[in-house]
Amino acid sequence: MNITHDGMRVVEIMSRLSIDRASRALSKTLRTGAMISLSSVYIADLSETTEKMNDDLREMTGVMVDFKGNVGCKLLFMLPVNGSFILTDLFLRQPAGTTKEYNEFTESVIQELGNILASHVSNALVSDFDATLIPEPPHVHNDYAGVMFSNLVMEQGMMDDKLLLMETKFEICKNELECYLFLVPETTSFMKLLDNIGVKV
Amino acid sequence: MKKILIVDDAKVIRMLIKRLLTQHGYQVAGEAGNGREAFEKYKELRPDAVTMDIIMPEVDGIQGLKDILAFDKQAKVIIISAIDQRDSLTDAIRNGATDYVVKPFEDDRMISTLNNIFSEDKKDAVGSKQ
Repeated sequence: MNITHDGMRVVEIMSRLSIDRASRALSKTLRTGAMISLSSVYIADLSETTEKMNDDLREMTGVMVDFKGNVGCKLLFMLPVNGSFILTDLFLRQPAGTTKEYNEFTESVIQELGNILASHVSNALVSDFDATLIPEPPHVHNDYAGVMFSNLVMEQGMMDDKLLLMETKFEICKNELECYLFLVPETTSFMKLLDNIGVKV
Repeated sequence: MKKILIVDDAKVIRMLIKRLLTQHGYQVAGEAGNGREAFEKYKELRPDAVTMDIIMPEVDGIQGLKDILAFDKQAKVIIISAIDQRDSLTDAIRNGATDYVVKPFEDDRMISTLNNIFSEDKKDAVGSKQ
């Protein structure tokens, strides 16, 4: 996969705008200061990234969302299981520390956060860049980071050993909550989208 | 007391909406997790209004909306979705949605939406008597 310097700059702007929109929605959902910032957008080597994710041996909970429309895309939001307890208490407006174990409410909160993040990312791409993009119902998984990441990239990886990856960092209540939010656009359709808006790739 | 059917695939959203509605004097007639269940529950419970998510497994909220309105032209269905896109909005309105609320929403927005649709009913009733 090759992308010009200008193309990469546009991808970064698109990513930042959509992440900003998702961040505002997350703050409103959790009724607290929540900020998602874009750490990096890069063309990643599939095997290297998978290896890095395999090094994270914490038990994770995550939600994966596929999108339908003219840009194929997948989103994965995941965090360590104990971090999901904090999000559950915030979402349900209950005192911190109320949730002590993973249960049906925790799973449902992660599912809904996946839906809200995916929807607002797609809202930004549709309104700002003329894409057609609608999320499918989210699926919650509990596993190791490496396993979930492998599932995310499996289809893209079969066609290409490089992938466009957007990594983000979460800050909730001024505490850094270690979450992963990956957006993996399907390369061919994403390049067409850039071409449609006049970006030479 | 007006009866509302809550339709969303996320249990926690149904729980939050249920809590909010009961705090404001509404009765929750029932809950459903997709468009098909919504239609079945609508026929069974005959609620005064429905809050309907769009993105749901098996049968989505737009299909649920169409089915309910085909069964009852007077049905009041409020779409509640995180999708804030012109095509989705026009699709919902074209298919007869009473209103469209974007998630995450403020509690006041949800309650005023419901209050408005029922106050419109009262106005219509007064108008028809005059």
